[in-house]
Amino acid sequence: MRRVATAALCLLLAGCAGVQSSMDVAGRQAGDIKGVWTLMLWVCGVMYLLVLAFLGWTLWRARRPLADAPPLADSALSPADRPMQTALGGWMVLIVVGLLVLTFGSFLVDRRLAEAGARADLNIRVTANQWWWQVEYQHPDPSQGFLTANEIHLPVGKTAKIELVATDVIHSFWVPNLGGKQDLIPGRVNDITLTPTRTGRFRGQCAEFCGLQHSNMALDVIVDSPAAYEAWRARQLASAPPPVTPGQARGLAVVQTAACANCHQIQGTEAMGKTGPDLTHVAGRRSIAAGALPYSRGALAAWIADPQGIKPGAHMPIVQLSPADLNGVLDYLDSLK
Amino acid sequence: MSSRFPNAEGAALALVAALALALGLGGCNREARQVRGSPLPDGGLAGVSPTALHVGGPRPFVKDPRAAQYEENAYHIGEGKRLYEWFNCYGCHAAGGGDIGPPLMDDTWRYGGEIEQIRASILEGRPNGMPSFAGRIPDTQVWEIAAYVRSMSGHVAKDAAPSRGDQLGNPPAATQVDRKPMGALTPPEPAP
Amino acid sequence: MRRVFEFALGLAAAAGLAGCDRAPEGKAQAAKAARAGIAVAPAAASPDDDGQWTMPAKDYANTRFSGLTQINRSNVKDLQVAFTFATGTTLGQESAPLVVGDTLYFVTPYPNVLYAIDLTKPGGELKWKFEPKPDASAQGMACCQPVNRGPTYADGTIFYNTTDTHTVAIDARTGELKWKTRVGDFNAGETFTMAPLVVKGKVLVGNSGAEYGARGWLAALDANSGAIQWRAYSTGPDRDVLIDPAEFKPFYPQYRGKDLGVTQWPKDHWKIGGGTVWGWLSYDPELNLVYHGTSNPAPWNHLERPGDNLWTNGVFARDPDTGHAKWFYQFSPHDLWDHSAINENIILDIPWRGRTRKVILRPERNGYMYLVDRTSGEVLAADPFVHVNASLGVDLKTGRLIDNPEKIPALGKTVRDVCPNSPGAKDWSPSAFSKVTGLVYVPHNNLCMDWETKPVSYIKGTPYIGVNPKFKPGPGGHAGEFMAWDPVARRKAWTIPERWPVWSGAAATAGGLVFYGNLEGWFKAVDADTGQVLWQFKTGSGIVGQPTTWRGPDGRQYVAILSGIGGWAGAMVSSNLDPRDPTAAKGFGNMTKDLKAQSSSGGTLYVFALPKR
Repeated sequence: MRRVATAALCLLLAGCAGVQSSMDVAGRQAGDIKGVWTLMLWVCGVMYLLVLAFLGWTLWRARRPLADAPPLADSALSPADRPMQTALGGWMVLIVVGLLVLTFGSFLVDRRLAEAGARADLNIRVTANQWWWQVEYQHPDPSQGFLTANEIHLPVGKTAKIELVATDVIHSFWVPNLGGKQDLIPGRVNDITLTPTRTGRFRGQCAEFCGLQHSNMALDVIVDSPAAYEAWRARQLASAPPPVTPGQARGLAVVQTAACANCHQIQGTEAMGKTGPDLTHVAGRRSIAAGALPYSRGALAAWIADPQGIKPGAHMPIVQLSPADLNGVLDYLDSLK
Repeated sequence: MSSRFPNAEGAALALVAALALALGLGGCNREARQVRGSPLPDGGLAGVSPTALHVGGPRPFVKDPRAAQYEENAYHIGEGKRLYEWFNCYGCHAAGGGDIGPPLMDDTWRYGGEIEQIRASILEGRPNGMPSFAGRIPDTQVWEIAAYVRSMSGHVAKDAAPSRGDQLGNPPAATQVDRKPMGALTPPEPAP
Repeated sequence: MRRVFEFALGLAAAAGLAGCDRAPEGKAQAAKAARAGIAVAPAAASPDDDGQWTMPAKDYANTRFSGLTQINRSNVKDLQVAFTFATGTTLGQESAPLVVGDTLYFVTPYPNVLYAIDLTKPGGELKWKFEPKPDASAQGMACCQPVNRGPTYADGTIFYNTTDTHTVAIDARTGELKWKTRVGDFNAGETFTMAPLVVKGKVLVGNSGAEYGARGWLAALDANSGAIQWRAYSTGPDRDVLIDPAEFKPFYPQYRGKDLGVTQWPKDHWKIGGGTVWGWLSYDPELNLVYHGTSNPAPWNHLERPGDNLWTNGVFARDPDTGHAKWFYQFSPHDLWDHSAINENIILDIPWRGRTRKVILRPERNGYMYLVDRTSGEVLAADPFVHVNASLGVDLKTGRLIDNPEKIPALGKTVRDVCPNSPGAKDWSPSAFSKVTGLVYVPHNNLCMDWETKPVSYIKGTPYIGVNPKFKPGPGGHAGEFMAWDPVARRKAWTIPERWPVWSGAAATAGGLVFYGNLEGWFKAVDADTGQVLWQFKTGSGIVGQPTTWRGPDGRQYVAILSGIGGWAGAMVSSNLDPRDPTAAKGFGNMTKDLKAQSSSGGTLYVFALPKR
């Protein structure tokens, strides 16, 4: 019996861990939220058990024969009613106290979350589009900022203030392990603050229905040690490496002259489109198409050859490249680490 | 209980029949939507002329078989509206009123207003400043933009045309504009 | 009795001589200046009038002032048409009609035909014309119609620019082509619209195209051969901008640093940064400095380009021999509103707190009238001359414009009622300075706008803007004004409200008159002291050109203006745009719907004179 119980408990707890779990806290804000959630769990759980117990007791008491029950028409309180009165009074006090505790706890956490952005170490602007995320790392020196897509890196222990804007419809930014949800509303600037407390890879998700591919609008958030973060940042700041092999050269030529450059940007080339994801370091990312596929040359080939087969309705069209051109483009993009 | 269904069984049967009919009809889509597009290039602009003048007498305008799936299709016109902004058509033609380029929402067509002719203008460019987008926009998207341009001047059915846009200062929605004939390409009256 | 008679004779002789058309400027000017403490145009940059009009701004100081007095306050009411000439084009006619000797020259919008009119023959006979045949596709790269602000003259040669980025040199007598140089690339979005300036044997030309992400520059071509001597870019590393730390001494600290034209932009964005040089050039021969403005950064959507975006939206002082910059001042850092800073820089010497300071006066698009020390780049004053809410003022200690935080655009958000709007309190239409009154006569706008920001991709060969604007008249309901500004007292002397933006240039004369035209087509002569309209004539189409005046071969004074509506404000009419779209013509569609009912397109040169006695 004990073995079964332990196994069941382990199973239950294992369900809480993971890359997209608000129970598996990896950031201060998520911790605050989990704290208030736990408070609610205990307060409401205890209340629930008390209600059940009381219900059970009244049902048990109701089994007494009718003759023993006090007359209903009596207006004056009989001695048998006193315990009931006390119980109900205590019950009311319990509810009020419980609600006050919940309100106060919620207020404290909300205030903490709201003030968190006051001393940010890092400023990021996330722009939500249908159905991908543009991530802009801002810097007081304008030439030290850069763009990436669908992936955010954060240094552990540092506070990142993320400005949230949207271009088309309402989306919602949600990285459960690190923080709560915050909407991205066209025409409005919101923000959210994240302070990760341990390294690791986490998954974010758009949390407001935004169209056909809402469910395929994921976000990779990787929390690095400070050194790893600086190395990643330096790599992102660098322009795309020039092509080395003939295949890569052909690929760059195609990217610049065919439809790719209309929507995509590759820093250091003539491709300067902003309506699609930045591809300057696409090969270094964990996934493509906002989490639709893990990155690999084959996945990229599948995506370019038939994006609608993978993510129907996405704004990436079939680009009509010849096989040789497609191979060249893949060679080139695969070199953009 | 009405007198039409003297018994409960009859009422239940009628209800089931009505539900079945509703579900059956609901299975019909508003329109066929091809999101995928063609992986192979569509081919050229054979036979599309920007002028209505033909040596030897008027020639009936030959419709491209591919045009039908784009012309009155709300999804494709909506995509065309998005692409019209993404590819900076807005910069020269504004929201149809024109600026550097001529207006697209009026009923004057310099180089023809059929979808095939608009597509030709986009792909080939035109002498007085319209750049050529050949090789820069995949074929499906060119059709979509051409379909949207056609819708700007009321040449498209109201259930296919895009309605009021969200942007600042948009002109009257295409769904509010009366349908117009295409002008020179309308077949001439037969001689008496 | 005899003495009285002699005295009367002397008096009559003096009166008779005074009636002669002799420019009394030099002495009278100095005397008046000493008496009243008014601004003065230095003689080196603005020599005494010779009765011609050989450069668009009349002289290097850009005064547009004529010393002729034959047409004056008392007789201008009799001014009438002497002759007209059809230009053969119907887009905006922005050229200044130049007069050299007995020939009048002007350039049309695309196809940029240069006409030479023989002023000795009655009726304005055509002497010759030159047709450069610019590439027709370049018309698609001209943001606000393929207009042309006219030719300039030097050493027997007429120089002007064509839409497809060529500069041509034509023999002023025979009309033969001397050289034709391609200076830019219209596939990159570059065109030419500006009038060149010839300084010390170099033809200075600057490109247009910031609305296409074209990188701006000012180039100097050798006047004899057309070879490019130097090219100073407006963005990029110091070696491209021709900034040599040994020579470059800006007044304010934010302009000192290495390669600020790269670091004040996101990575590599300076390559598509704009800052074109399509406006007016002035030159001070004493300091040997050319002053020119740079236009807006690209795109209009400011979110795509964090940083101050140097060296756009400012004024450079450059050495014309080498092109090296001496100082720079930025009127609108990190431009939010397309406030291109290419307006005229009028060279004046001004009494300032007890001594005379050498300044340039700049009526700027952002709504402030600037006085900038032309030796150092220090801002002495920046006074608003229209209602301004886009900014809160100019901090004279740091020189920075203070943006209004409530009006800063955000993605997808519409900011309402921003004043002044993007053509600004004053667009390119040049002002005039009267050496007699000491006032500056400024044709300008009174406009506000709503402004919506959207994401935009840079696609070479297409516009790179990212904004939906919608214009409307400013407070008071009138969209334009013609005002007289006192640069010493730093306030308006008088103003004439106009229904439409005033898009024409101004010209002032010693006869106490100022000439300008409005978009309805009225060409007006106004009293320079009081602003009273003394004469007006309705030409066939709206006026967006630059008035000029000269002494003809017959000794009579003539005034000329090109009539033909167009340019940004008039595009609704002459490009036949659809007024149902408020964002047509980049925002003018919203407010120029009725203009189509009041003016139609045209293209005619009008020359006026007093009736022959």
